[in-house]
Amino acid sequence: MKNILIVEDDKVISDELKNLLDNAGYNGIILKDFDNSLEEVKKINPDLILLDINIPKLNGELVLQKIRKESNVPIIMVTSKNSEADEVLSMSYGADDYITKPYNPTILLLRINAIFKRMENKNDVLTYNNLVVDPKKGIIKNEKKELILTKNEMIIFTFLLFNRGNIVTRDDLMTDLWNNNEYINDNALNVNISRLRTKLTDFGYEDAIETRKGQGYILK
Amino acid sequence: MKLSKYLRNNFLIILLFIVITAITNLMLVSFKTDIQAILGIDITVIIGFILYIIYDFNRRKKFYNKFLNDLDLLDKKYLITEMIEKPNFYEGEILYDALYDIDKSMSEKIKEYSLSIADFKEYIELWIHEVKLPLASMNLIIHNHKELSDKKIIEQLKRIDDDVEQVLYYVRSENAEKDYLIKETELDRAISNVAMRNKDILLENNIDFEVEVGNKKVLTDSKWLEFIVNQIVSNSIKYIRDGVEHLIRITAEENSKSIFLKIYDNGIGIEKSDIPKVFDKTFTGNNGRKIETSTGMGLYIAKQLCKKLGHKITIDSKENEYTEVSIIFNKNDFLNVAK
Repeated sequence: MKNILIVEDDKVISDELKNLLDNAGYNGIILKDFDNSLEEVKKINPDLILLDINIPKLNGELVLQKIRKESNVPIIMVTSKNSEADEVLSMSYGADDYITKPYNPTILLLRINAIFKRMENKNDVLTYNNLVVDPKKGIIKNEKKELILTKNEMIIFTFLLFNRGNIVTRDDLMTDLWNNNEYINDNALNVNISRLRTKLTDFGYEDAIETRKGQGYILK
Repeated sequence: MKLSKYLRNNFLIILLFIVITAITNLMLVSFKTDIQAILGIDITVIIGFILYIIYDFNRRKKFYNKFLNDLDLLDKKYLITEMIEKPNFYEGEILYDALYDIDKSMSEKIKEYSLSIADFKEYIELWIHEVKLPLASMNLIIHNHKELSDKKIIEQLKRIDDDVEQVLYYVRSENAEKDYLIKETELDRAISNVAMRNKDILLENNIDFEVEVGNKKVLTDSKWLEFIVNQIVSNSIKYIRDGVEHLIRITAEENSKSIFLKIYDNGIGIEKSDIPKVFDKTFTGNNGRKIETSTGMGLYIAKQLCKKLGHKITIDSKENEYTEVSIIFNKNDFLNVAK
């Protein structure tokens, strides 16, 4: 399980962030001792850090620079400072991403996921049972045949696959689609899901995507 | 300073001189003084008087012409005493000293106000960052506790966030300081952020959101641009028209000089007589009266920000048909932007 360190002085936010990360299958750790933040970071040795810029007693940008001197751990700046200059500065100090509060929690998770994916630098090929899913080429295949998924179908399928076994809300799917510049509406989402189901049925996975009424979908 | 006006202003003295000279002449004639002596006296006196007039006119002209000329060139007129020298005639000295005092007190007042505005601005920015924290917590809480969650609450949170942003950018647009940073920005990324901000309300209202901007890049501050586009899109959402399939379409075009970002909606449109006024501060017009939440600030702030960034913003609309707002970016025009 990946450890994500939360550097945030607002208790409600840090607790809810931890809650969010834990629910998404990460291990959220809240930094408590701001006085010795650098030593703490070293001790915890997280896989990723969510770092707020405005922390009393602590200059987020300075912390960022210091961490960067010693490690390449991915860092996402999470801040209420909505300014281009701050973003450019943070990125130049070596932050991997910059998100402003209030952010959409699903987006935050997508960004975290994107960073891990980029780091692992896998050849991007996923598997679902005996199926090979290649998002880059837009295809799913088994030994016998190969089907093309549209961009939207692929976004939906990979999101479900990533959260396999968990309920995925329509809102989560919509967020991921919109995040990929596919501004589709509710009807289009229905159409895409039913097409995806048809394609999975072709491979023999008839009820792979189950509808949970009022909650969302689950990939079995 | 004109001689004719100066002479007219000194009409009484000149008249007095002529009368006294005439009386003196009469007296001299009655004393049977030699005619040549009288002429000699007259010429001497008249030359003396004219010389005095010329001298007096010139020293005044020298001072006032410089004064007026400098005043004309000055951007901040109240700094005039820094430019002129103390004149060498009495009223001029009085004027100079008085102006000096007035300007000093004016400068002090201005300094006081600009400090207090800067303080206020700083406080507002700080406050905005503070108020974003509970907003962020609420977003997280709603996400984590689905049993509490309701789309309506998220929408209301977004409204608060939008209003708070508007204050932030109003403060930014009204102050001379440059807290923006211009760099190459991908249009589709900025629009994607705006789309995401408005996703729920767009879906809720069945508004189709179409974007075709390709991979065009513009020189701007992306955060400011996002705010501007968000104002326009928020208006499009606010002013949808019943009885049609709602549509917001964002496109980009370019020619050799400029890139045009066009935000089109098929909403209720704007009455023709209102169009020239939509960028005015607190203008709400007919549409504003129909919708209670209009403050008339959004487009005003958008325009101010565009001005600062060196973009143009225009609006075209037909009532009950469409509204199209265009933002026009200069292409590779670094000089213009740097100003």
